[in-house]
Amino acid sequence: MRQALILVALAFLPGIGQAIYFRDKVSWQSPVPASEMVTVAQARAWGRNAIWVDARPDVEFEREHVTGAVLLNEDRWNELLPQFLAAWSPEKRVVVYCSSQSCNASREVARRLRDEAQLKNVFVLKGGWEEWLKKK
Amino acid sequence: MRTHIFAFILSIVICATARAELKWEQTAIELHPAAGDKEAVGHFKYQNTGNQPVRFKSVHTSCGCTAAQSQKEEVPPGEKGEITATFKIGDRTGTQVKTVTVDTDDPVNATTVLTLKAVIPQELEINPSFVFWGQGEAPKSKTIVVRAGKDFSVKELKVTSSSPDFETKVAQTGKGQFKIDVQPRDTSRNMAATLTIQPEGSSKTFYAMARVTNAPAIQ
Repeated sequence: MRQALILVALAFLPGIGQAIYFRDKVSWQSPVPASEMVTVAQARAWGRNAIWVDARPDVEFEREHVTGAVLLNEDRWNELLPQFLAAWSPEKRVVVYCSSQSCNASREVARRLRDEAQLKNVFVLKGGWEEWLKKK
Repeated sequence: MRTHIFAFILSIVICATARAELKWEQTAIELHPAAGDKEAVGHFKYQNTGNQPVRFKSVHTSCGCTAAQSQKEEVPPGEKGEITATFKIGDRTGTQVKTVTVDTDDPVNATTVLTLKAVIPQELEINPSFVFWGQGEAPKSKTIVVRAGKDFSVKELKVTSSSPDFETKVAQTGKGQFKIDVQPRDTSRNMAATLTIQPEGSSKTFYAMARVTNAPAIQ
């Protein structure tokens, strides 16, 4: 019994070490504050008061996208921003999505809209495109 | 108890000597592409220092903007190779960190995460890049501040509006610092303009947007 406990304790050591070393890089810790994230249900409830922004590459957008979504990615930011701003109006909420939670594109696009264009009410969709597909 | 500890250590030693092992020269690379570069490429070199072949199961990237390629599917003992990660810069700015996850059949180090950091030089900082007025709002001018980025020198700035509905005035406010005053002719209707910002001596063009929306504006 004692030996088994020693072995279990030894098995935990690398895990504990890794948890301490990577404490700032835990995958479920999102750099986006919770107040700036939105679920599919919440975003849908906004109806026409929301503009959906697709932050994925052009090919993925062309394959399929949220109905009415505007393409705005960092590959062609300068070219695509004017068409997004033409669809935007101050009372609308902006919902940015990309291909999954591991993808950082929606966060970057949302950050640039807030910091560079100084827009308010910009949100990142929780679970991204995959979550939207599930709730379709 | 001593026998058990000895058996435990021996089993670890045996496992360690029998395994395949990909040894990476570096798992993190920092790149400094020049202004105007289209992509940044990182070469992650490895060697199989074990006595068993290593097979790549998958190589995937954290972002659609990065492509990763392994030269071979299987690495025999002693052989070297590399994973090439190509990051498409596009219109991205600042520091970009992308990862490449490599899965192998090595039971000990099955997964390795390679990190590619690209520091993209920012020639101009434009703040804000968008100004707007609500319909019926007083057509007063709004200011866009433009600063030359670190390591860049801008002596003159040329600004052109795509529409005669918006007037622009440029003034230098400091070394490498300018202000652009943007003013709509009127705010009675929905209208928009793209402002093209061209620093003197630069091949790169920058943009800002101005718009009169059909809703009341609060800025």
